[in-house]
Amino acid sequence: MKRISVAERANWRTYAEEVGFNFHTFDGEPYWDETAYYQFSLQQIEEDLEAPTEELHQMVMDMVGDITRSEEMLTQLNIPRDYWSYVWNSWNNGEPHLYGRMDLVYDGTGPAKLLELNYDTPTSLFETGFFQWVWLEDQIKNGVLPERADQFNSLQDKIEQAFIELELSTPFYFTSVRDNAEDRGTVSYLMDIAAQAGRNVHYIALEDIGVITDAKGENPQFVDLDDHPIKGLFKLYPWEFIVQEDFGRATLAANTQMVEPAWKMLLSNKGILPLLWARYPDHPNLLPAFFETPGSDPMAAGWVRKPLFSREGANVDLITGTGEKLSAEGPYADGRYIRQAFHALPKFRDELRGGDAYTMLGSWVVGDSAAGICIREDATLITKDSSRFLPHIILD
Amino acid sequence: MKRSKKAALVLTVPVATLLIAGCEKEVQGMVYSNPEECSAGGWNTEQCEAEYAEAKALHPQVAPKYVSKEECEADFGDGKCETAPQQTTSGHSVFMPMMMGYLAGQMMNRGASFQQPGAASAGTNTAATGTKAAAAGASVPTQPLYKSRDDRGTYRTAHNTPVAKGTGPVSLKPSQMQPRAGGLVRRGGFGHQAAMRNSYGG
Repeated sequence: MKRISVAERANWRTYAEEVGFNFHTFDGEPYWDETAYYQFSLQQIEEDLEAPTEELHQMVMDMVGDITRSEEMLTQLNIPRDYWSYVWNSWNNGEPHLYGRMDLVYDGTGPAKLLELNYDTPTSLFETGFFQWVWLEDQIKNGVLPERADQFNSLQDKIEQAFIELELSTPFYFTSVRDNAEDRGTVSYLMDIAAQAGRNVHYIALEDIGVITDAKGENPQFVDLDDHPIKGLFKLYPWEFIVQEDFGRATLAANTQMVEPAWKMLLSNKGILPLLWARYPDHPNLLPAFFETPGSDPMAAGWVRKPLFSREGANVDLITGTGEKLSAEGPYADGRYIRQAFHALPKFRDELRGGDAYTMLGSWVVGDSAAGICIREDATLITKDSSRFLPHIILD
Repeated sequence: MKRSKKAALVLTVPVATLLIAGCEKEVQGMVYSNPEECSAGGWNTEQCEAEYAEAKALHPQVAPKYVSKEECEADFGDGKCETAPQQTTSGHSVFMPMMMGYLAGQMMNRGASFQQPGAASAGTNTAATGTKAAAAGASVPTQPLYKSRDDRGTYRTAHNTPVAKGTGPVSLKPSQMQPRAGGLVRRGGFGHQAAMRNSYGG
């Protein structure tokens, strides 16, 4: 695993905007960054990333059924009691899931360690499945990279196949928060792939979704702006938000097929990390983790504290093995926390900027198959929403 | 190869604009704002009034319902909403838009007992307006029509399907004109957590 500086493609920004990638730069700072790429060997990809990803995925999937039947675990995961039977039903009815991403620490040797699962609303999908794929094709065509260079990235193929095979209602709706360009970009990409798979797709802004009831206020149904029923909905909106909102209760009775399904809220939850560690202690791809309680000792060196629900590194505190403290601000300070053993992200030299780059790997799962990776870099040990996205190649 | 065989985008326009293609035959109906306008159009006064009464009776059942007058007026315009006969389970009032016109579906129906004076058959009428001939007996359901705040010129069904820009004959697909019970519609029940936290995906 190497970090290699490389010339940017001429006019990539123009191209990005043509294909709807409007968030390639974030507050004037690069988000998509092709001033360098990471290079892996095929063995590193297949043995250290692809196989462990599928193994970890199977491990968590094996736990879902048990969690749905355990009051103790549902409570630990902060799932509201009103939703327990809904979650149980979504799992027992085999409601299909589409995709997820697990975040890993990996430095090129030794077992990759699972940092967390983003199994409900993962973004950076377009950047991974499309934009870094095109980058590789372009750089091969430009003669910058050799013809035999490859990439661990079957994301678009696998999502298209999933949209062909999944049982989904027609028409199938997609929703995201109205004013978020990144979420909208992710949803547009999924809709594009679904359309290529022959699906009849509609977009509706999350805020425009209506609930129609009978005159007594019963039998809720989700409807679009023309009051047509929404029978199937891909929502790029976290379940832990849905359960707190006015329309959350309507989902319980509405009979709308939700993707990701409700059982995914058990996995996109940092509480799965201590549960996994308890079930598979000393697994080479897991880090020790436990639930923080009022009686827990103060944070010691070598531990990280994460809210049960937080995104993009928000509200994470860590103390490195040598006692260096680091905290990320965020809006998720209102819930419970877990602690996880600190495992430093590998540090690479960013020659262009003359600084250090800490690197995290995202490993994608579509259905139950590993489907590729993406790389995020930050100047600090906590990967955040502003962390840069870099492409990668496989070359032996 | 560990990467996708292809990665292509096909949609340069929002796919939400894709329409479901249909091959259903269109049939004719008449749009009027009241029975007097219908009679003035040369139709049998008795039938104009019968169909108006039918639409008027459907109105409180199919009209979209709102829990506040403000929400209703936001969609239909100031002073264009009235109290519905229904109440919520907790005893609160429910509001609905006023009926602004009606779609008369039986006038062009071959099987109807009333005929426009001088019109030999429905076929003559449809031919006159250049639309496909209606199958014998096929008709659009008679129902109330509404006008939205931001598009005052268009008559719409209770479920917001545009019907006509003005009064007179229209060609419609019956399947798109089926009246359904108009429940309470509420929007904006999702999104508050995102607004609070300003952070969503991951």
